[in-house]
Amino acid sequence: MKGGGLLRGYALLYLLFLYAPIILLPIFAFNSSTIIAFPLSEFTTQWFREIPNTPALVESVKTSLIIAVSTALLSTVLGICAARAGAKYRFPGKAPILGFIMLPLVLPEIIVAVSMLVVLLALGLPLGHWTVILGHTLICTPFCIAILNSAFANLDASLEEAAYDLGETAWSTFRLITLPLVMPGIVSALLISFTISLDEFIIAFFLTGTEPTLPVYLWGQLRFPQKIPVVMALGTILVAMSVTLLTFAEFMRRRGIAKAGRKDTGGFL
Amino acid sequence: MKNPPIVSLRGVHKYYGNYHALRGIDLDIGAGEFFSLLGPSGCGKTTLLRTIAGFEDPSDGVLLLDGKDMAHVPANRRPTNMVFQSYAIFPHLTVAENVAFGLRRRSDLDRSAKQKMVEESLEMVGLGGYGGRAAHALSGGQRQRVALARALILHPKVLLLDEPLSALDKKLREQMQNELRRLQRHVGITFILVTHDQEEALIMSDRIAVMFEGEIAQLADPQTLYRRPVTRRVADFIGVMNFLPAKVDGRTLEIAGLGRAEVQPDQAPSGMPSGSGHIGIRPETMSVLFEGEKTPVRVADGKVVELAYYGDMTYYQVLLDGTESPVTVSMKNLVGRKVLERGDRARISWDERSLVVFP
Repeated sequence: MKGGGLLRGYALLYLLFLYAPIILLPIFAFNSSTIIAFPLSEFTTQWFREIPNTPALVESVKTSLIIAVSTALLSTVLGICAARAGAKYRFPGKAPILGFIMLPLVLPEIIVAVSMLVVLLALGLPLGHWTVILGHTLICTPFCIAILNSAFANLDASLEEAAYDLGETAWSTFRLITLPLVMPGIVSALLISFTISLDEFIIAFFLTGTEPTLPVYLWGQLRFPQKIPVVMALGTILVAMSVTLLTFAEFMRRRGIAKAGRKDTGGFL
Repeated sequence: MKNPPIVSLRGVHKYYGNYHALRGIDLDIGAGEFFSLLGPSGCGKTTLLRTIAGFEDPSDGVLLLDGKDMAHVPANRRPTNMVFQSYAIFPHLTVAENVAFGLRRRSDLDRSAKQKMVEESLEMVGLGGYGGRAAHALSGGQRQRVALARALILHPKVLLLDEPLSALDKKLREQMQNELRRLQRHVGITFILVTHDQEEALIMSDRIAVMFEGEIAQLADPQTLYRRPVTRRVADFIGVMNFLPAKVDGRTLEIAGLGRAEVQPDQAPSGMPSGSGHIGIRPETMSVLFEGEKTPVRVADGKVVELAYYGDMTYYQVLLDGTESPVTVSMKNLVGRKVLERGDRARISWDERSLVVFP
């Protein structure tokens, strides 16, 4: 094919631009100099060892995990309800309701963050973990609905009818048939919302109480150059964790599809 | 219907908003009967089946199953089971788990009893030894059998089948038609089949209800339905029927292209029209006369305008003298019998006993 070389070059440059900064992360995390620049000095694991000795950092990781797990659970449950209602039932105003639920997907986060802050302050409610969870759930739920919609839409309605016809109740039908068949979608939704919440900055910055989340903490640390290598070490761990997590999620998704004997259409990896 | 009714519907209506899907269905289906609901798509046959199953609530009217009013009985507590058009085999379970699904709530049976029932059930549909297979790895015909085994293991009073053969190819479909019939005789359960395939309905059923626009147009056994359809629409839907205009004077008809005929009252199932009407005549009740054959009483002349050669049969389109549209005549391709060509003159013999008179 003509022009193949040019396209290949473009694709390579694109990937380099996308991933090169992330590759720099582990390189400098193992570099003994506090200055982020080439040439590299000696290899060290000092920065990794310093992580547990930085209590504020550990605290912020803990905060972030609590918020991300809560957000993932909450928005996936909400997503399941909405996706199922959308796939199965007809009700008046269905289109506008589903449209408004999806709106936070395109709403600027800064607007969401500021307006939520204004409302919370006006109500005199204290900021804390729960306010960040609230904000994150708001922006994660549309993602969950989008993922779960396709899972529920792929489900043959007569499967549920068949289970009901064979004597099961509406709830046991959901548990025995619907849930296992949409499980890959649920796992995807959990992981995506977890990831979004974990690295979300704007809403967390505005709505966080006295305990900052990890991104907010990191942003604060950038003012102190000697802290940057520790941040990079932490970043390396997070990247490694994300890759592992996403690989696992994709493995689960493919296994689910193979088990259900369906054709693989899309997915995130 | 020989046996007492197991399914009774009285004045059943179903509305979807303004759409009137079922328009006053009165129907009795006997115990042990193989009953078919036949009609074009959108005629309400599936809605009627789903109403019996309990997936749809009738807007008006009464449904009795085995003498009991089903008004407030949900689908999971009705003595019916359904074989779905898509078969609805649970893809994440094995064949045996699928078949055993309905036994989950039977606490009176222990594990080995259930296992035995599953094996017997699979054996019955010709899938003995398939229990351990993954359900998604089955072929269309096998899925069909698993769906049957899964529904029949509960010994329902009525088995509902929603176009169960429409997804199979022709050979397999014909094979399954025979098997379904044999299975129904074997288990003795009432089968209610929904189909749009008139041939399938004729082959399998004890009785057939032909439905158009939410109403039952005719309810009869296959032979009556084929030979004595009550309306031209039913006649047209079941097999091929030629229609010719006729002048009616008492029992004497003057048929365009065919000539004079005398008919019996039972040949006009919807009543003898007066003045003018139509007659219906099936292609196989007419034949093309070849030279040297004995001339029967009733003959008519015409011209072959089109023909279709099917191997075992030839279908001629013959334009009878003095008519405007051709009639179809089917002929067996017997040894030594020649096939006419387009444009040939043809002499047709027919029999007045095979006529049906319509208004």
